[in-house]
Amino acid sequence: MSDQTQTGRVRPEPIKAVPVRHPGRWLAIAVLAVLTAMFLHLILTNDQFRWSFIFSSYEPGKRGVMFTGPVLDGLRGTLLLTVTSMLIGVVFGVVLAIMRLSDNWILRGVAFVYIWFFRAVPRLVLAVLFGNLNILWARIGFGLPFDQQIGRLFGIDDLNAQFYSIKASDLLVGFVAGMLALGLSEAAYMAEIVRAGIQSIDPGQGEAATALGLSRAQVLRRVVLPQAMRVIVPPTGNEVIAMVKDTSLVAFVPVAGELFFQLNAIKSRTFVVLPVLVAAVIWYLIICTVLMIAQFFVERHFSRGYGVTGRARLRLRDIQIEQGGRPTADGSAAT
Amino acid sequence: MSTEMVRAEDVHKSFGPLEVLRGIDLVVNSGEVCCVLGPSGSGKSTFLRCVNHLEKINAGKIFVDGDLIGYHERGGKLHEMKNSEVSRQRRAIGMVFQRFNLFPHMTVLQNVMEAPCRVKKENKLEVRDRAAALLDRVGLGDKVDSYPGQLSGGQQQRVAIARALAMRPKLMLFDEPTSALDPELVGEVLDVMKDLARDGMTMVVVTHEIGFAREVGDQVVFMDGGVVVEQGPPAEILGNPKHDRTKAFLSKVL
Repeated sequence: MSDQTQTGRVRPEPIKAVPVRHPGRWLAIAVLAVLTAMFLHLILTNDQFRWSFIFSSYEPGKRGVMFTGPVLDGLRGTLLLTVTSMLIGVVFGVVLAIMRLSDNWILRGVAFVYIWFFRAVPRLVLAVLFGNLNILWARIGFGLPFDQQIGRLFGIDDLNAQFYSIKASDLLVGFVAGMLALGLSEAAYMAEIVRAGIQSIDPGQGEAATALGLSRAQVLRRVVLPQAMRVIVPPTGNEVIAMVKDTSLVAFVPVAGELFFQLNAIKSRTFVVLPVLVAAVIWYLIICTVLMIAQFFVERHFSRGYGVTGRARLRLRDIQIEQGGRPTADGSAAT
Repeated sequence: MSTEMVRAEDVHKSFGPLEVLRGIDLVVNSGEVCCVLGPSGSGKSTFLRCVNHLEKINAGKIFVDGDLIGYHERGGKLHEMKNSEVSRQRRAIGMVFQRFNLFPHMTVLQNVMEAPCRVKKENKLEVRDRAAALLDRVGLGDKVDSYPGQLSGGQQQRVAIARALAMRPKLMLFDEPTSALDPELVGEVLDVMKDLARDGMTMVVVTHEIGFAREVGDQVVFMDGGVVVEQGPPAEILGNPKHDRTKAFLSKVL
């Protein structure tokens, strides 16, 4: 464009002013730079880190402690435990959230009590508790509830109406116990997150969908939950990352197939303390980095139709058209 | 020709101790446009929401095209309908809201296609063509792939009308469709509604647009305090109101 505006007046010179100085910022940057240099100096020159022990020379065959068999098994266990307990947490959490928003006060009350209990008890206590729950039953099965009591009512001793059962000490132990402890606890937190998400949606959305004839399930699945996901995803990302780290609690169930348990065992065996802990830190950093990247893409997916990007693009196009500029490729510049 | 599309008999509705509707009787014939006027808080919107059972009424009866809304009558006793049955009744009743209520996570085309595809399970390609044609009709043929957040209020409301029409309703309810719009955008929505009225759609319109009521309405209903104060042809109600309350209201809005 030329300097000439449409009114025929000459456009004034652009402002050339001396910018405001920020000496405080420069001071802060200088302090941070020194601290960073000190940190780098520490980790690069201090022998106690024993980087070769971590990365390349713990085992023959040039394997560092990070990449030995038991540690990789532990890593797999940590990831599997995170995924399974989060799945339990999300599925039960959605169900509990819907129950808490029900019109029926009994469903509401049950969900409330569940959330109250599992938020109140620390995960560490839950992990130990679930590891010892098998004291309560000899066998855990699937079938008619209260079968023995019903049998006694009709004078039959020891009625067994279980289709399938398994010894409690086989089922409720180790990985399964840890998974249940973490998953059921997570469900309580996820329920609150999902409830907040659902309640953040304008009631008009549900009304419009209902007026169109959508069923209650369709309203929830097609209209409310997809929008609630915008609110649900960021705190859920927090929960996943917290879960990665909380899996180390299942060492108290006890479960051996878990990252920190394995590294800790190596520490006790070799008396090499710091490098083993640093190896654990590095693995947790890697996992969380991957998860944060995944969260970015999930958030982008659920922000369709929101935010400034779409509107900003539209405004930019309008400005271009106003200036007689090129209409965009989608041809919608005509109006 | 003039079959009854909407029939309300002595409809009462309370929210707790607050009595919002205190005996509404109203008949809208097929093909008619009925404009409901009245001060805010007079119960107009509530009545409209009762017609498609978004609100449960406490007493009285509402019929749409001969069907009792929300209940079965068996042996002189009323039985509440299941949600799925109420949904079936709502399919034939389109509704347009004051604040559009488009689904922001779907494109304009998806908004219009959602109900025919999910509720009536119609063929997706057919629905797509019909939805595109409807959007063309409301003048938004070039916005099919936009998201609601990218449209102006007037455009959004026209999409909302197309979305309701996609279900091929027998009756359209408009709840103050232009009240949330900038003044210069009101016209484009009213034009679409006039077009709809010319095509013979039965419409109940809660509005403050007196001009629209005068031009398009076959019947004007003036409500205040939860009752119908006065009803009749627009020329009569708007030109020569009998009740003081109608006169007072019209003198304020005209």
